[in-house]
Amino acid sequence: MERKKSFIKRYWLPLVLFIIALLLPALIPSFWVHVFTEILILGLFAIAFNLIFGYMGQLSFGQAAYYGIGAYTTGLLMVKANWPLIATLPVSMITAGIGALILGFFCVRLRGVYFSILTIAFGQLVFFIIFQWYSFTGGDNGLQGINPPDWLFSAVPYYYFTLIVVTIASIIIYFITESPFGYTMRAIRDNTERTEFIGINVQRYMLINFIISGMFCGLAGALWGPFNRSVAPDLCGWQHSGTPVFMAVMGGPHHFLGPMIGSVIFTFLNAFVTGFTEYWPLVSGIVIIFVVMLMPGGVFGVIKEKGYFKAKEPVSNGTNPVDKGRD
Amino acid sequence: MNNSVILKTEHLSKSFFKYQVLTDVNYELKKGEIAAIIGPNGAGKTTFFNLITGYHTVSGGHVFFRGQEITNWQRHKIARIGITRAFQISNIYPKLTTYENVRQSILAQQKRTLNLLTPAEKMAKQETLELLEVTGLANLKDTEAGILSQGDKKKLELALALACKPALLLLDEPTAGMSSEETHETMELVKRLNKEVGLTILFTEHDISVIFGYAEKLSVLHQGILVAEGTPEEVRQNKEAQACYLGEEI
Amino acid sequence: MEFTFFFSQFMSGLTYGMMLFLVASGFSLIFGVMNILNFAHATLWLIGAYLCFTFWSLMQSYDIALWLSIPLAAVTTGAIGWICEVVLIKRLYKRELHEQLLITYAMALIFGDLIKITWGPTDKLIVRPPIIQKPVHLFGAPIDSYFIFVIFIGFAVAVGLWWFLKFTKYGHIVKAAVFSREMVNALGIPIPRIYTWVFTLGIFIAGLAGGIQSAIGSITLGMDMSTIIQAFCVVVIGGFGSLTGTLVGSLIVGEVFSFAILYWPDGAMVLIFAITAAILVIRPWGLFGTPLRA
Repeated sequence: MERKKSFIKRYWLPLVLFIIALLLPALIPSFWVHVFTEILILGLFAIAFNLIFGYMGQLSFGQAAYYGIGAYTTGLLMVKANWPLIATLPVSMITAGIGALILGFFCVRLRGVYFSILTIAFGQLVFFIIFQWYSFTGGDNGLQGINPPDWLFSAVPYYYFTLIVVTIASIIIYFITESPFGYTMRAIRDNTERTEFIGINVQRYMLINFIISGMFCGLAGALWGPFNRSVAPDLCGWQHSGTPVFMAVMGGPHHFLGPMIGSVIFTFLNAFVTGFTEYWPLVSGIVIIFVVMLMPGGVFGVIKEKGYFKAKEPVSNGTNPVDKGRD
Repeated sequence: MNNSVILKTEHLSKSFFKYQVLTDVNYELKKGEIAAIIGPNGAGKTTFFNLITGYHTVSGGHVFFRGQEITNWQRHKIARIGITRAFQISNIYPKLTTYENVRQSILAQQKRTLNLLTPAEKMAKQETLELLEVTGLANLKDTEAGILSQGDKKKLELALALACKPALLLLDEPTAGMSSEETHETMELVKRLNKEVGLTILFTEHDISVIFGYAEKLSVLHQGILVAEGTPEEVRQNKEAQACYLGEEI
Repeated sequence: MEFTFFFSQFMSGLTYGMMLFLVASGFSLIFGVMNILNFAHATLWLIGAYLCFTFWSLMQSYDIALWLSIPLAAVTTGAIGWICEVVLIKRLYKRELHEQLLITYAMALIFGDLIKITWGPTDKLIVRPPIIQKPVHLFGAPIDSYFIFVIFIGFAVAVGLWWFLKFTKYGHIVKAAVFSREMVNALGIPIPRIYTWVFTLGIFIAGLAGGIQSAIGSITLGMDMSTIIQAFCVVVIGGFGSLTGTLVGSLIVGEVFSFAILYWPDGAMVLIFAITAAILVIRPWGLFGTPLRA
């Protein structure tokens, strides 16, 4: 019966959100158009991150590395080689994907908390490389003057450009999560061991997913540089790696749009708080503690409290009991 | 090596740290056979399965499948070559529905899991529904697998294994947790698969009626050593087997 | 390379490694016993360093100031750790990995900003007491005399922890808690109390390390992050939950740093990561850890 629902009935939430997003610039001042552009970019970042977290059941605490690689690829190509913005986007996805391939090769050998440790460490590795490779990346000065073309220069056109790219990317990611591959990810999340015994090379699938996630993180980063007109090494730092984690947790990692909802809340809060204090990390830290303590499962989790999330089982499958049924 | 031998182990041994769990097991299973391994708890039955399917690394000895050595292969490769197992404690995907559980296994068998862009719900509909029908789970297809009853979880466990279309099926206490009616249904299904499709089946079981009702060949494991082997009748007469396991129960 | 030069470089690597060991051992202990990854560990270490600076500046007219400040910093940091455990960490024992990690990440953010608010953005430098201002000569090589002290403390903590875990009743309880909570509970010892003291001990050692660090060089905002990442590498190299592994891992990282900086200053960190990755491929459970799978 579930499957007979009409298209609109099934996709009303994203459709409503998309229509609101289309109408927004007409209704709000340009400062808030900036904020919404940021929401979309970070929302894509969080959705891409959630491929690993919500779907595969592993917690990557280093996705900012691929976001940063994407941002720097676009930045360098635009500033040093005068490439047009649109041409840099696919290249950014490829470079971020290559980065994810190299580092993910090691990460997918581990599960659970060990996976997290390694992603944190490799995230910082990328940060250090970008930070110290002064001649190429500008070191801690970052790259300035990443200007989008004239037709995208002001806030509203860039917002619409971002909206289109993020929407297309989200639809592709959604298709991936609904494909047999996406269900294999859920299977790995639910029961890694069983998935091996139905003949699936779990490490290889995890690596592929890691690469896909890295590519879309890179795309989000690529949108960021021209939006902000500059990139800095902080984009790949540990603080920024925590952002999508928190967004996904706040919005609800078991719903496709959860991370995007998390991005709306988080980015709004950021825009609001940074208006009157420089101590955003302090405030966000306190918010994180309250959210984690008081609403596990996120916004969608609270909504569905009585249903899906009631049977509380760990998302991560990292600490599998090794000897299940050994006589 | 004889072609009709599907599974063969030579001097198969396993120790966990200093505990010897399985010692020098030489075992042969012919294609199309339905055989059981019996023995008291801790005899090493599950460990034997674990070594064949690559769950644990082998400490000593060899495993051959259709004459090819598969000792210490990766688990997914062993599954791909045609050995599938159903676990003693049901080992399913608790957050997916029963239907999605089975479809996952079918899609893996059909090597379609690398497909990134076709919606999974459009794929393998027919096969999934058929298998759910065969295993008696059709009316539960939209239930989240984590909340199924123990007996239904075991059926699903069997369905996941069957979906892999194995040549050799290892069943670890397939009927544990089932009612006597369910036990009978399940074992009839297993028998039918053996007779009609020619599936080779090796199972462990505690239920004496199941063992003697369905197995054509029995092997008795005791403290990790294979002590007796033969038809059910031969084993019934075997002194050693009686001493360590069957004695008072028959 | 001349021997004296080599030796002095070796000693500075040893010092660096020992500092790292002091941070990583508490981190590894907390992780091993409580299975909690403390993202804020090095931030608390940095708080220890700043606290030591503050205590020192209050007493700086006395020669003994530094030697009093270091234990004071350690105790104060330990107390902060105790508060964190009782208020926050205690509620996390049964939570999922991502929740635990987010909370300690939030702690790192909060403490990082609190440091900035309390001590401001300028670097802090302690003027060393006369006794450690001049280098000592060992095998003809001039060695910073404070390094000797650091190495001594590092070994003392290593031996102390080893002795504690191996020979004391409480050490046995802590080790047992790693394997079986039920067993420890059956002995009539409440697990939460053990966790609280393990966490406090880990943070106390971090505070001690921070205090010692404050006299090595200037204290800077953001030092905590490069340290925590190196601590991560140390536990991956040495093996999760192994004290020996943590010591060996720390010394490897320290020495590699010390020598790599001569030839390829920017690449020292990259080299550490290369070693970490190599270890993961060859021995995923680390040099001294136990394999996760039989």
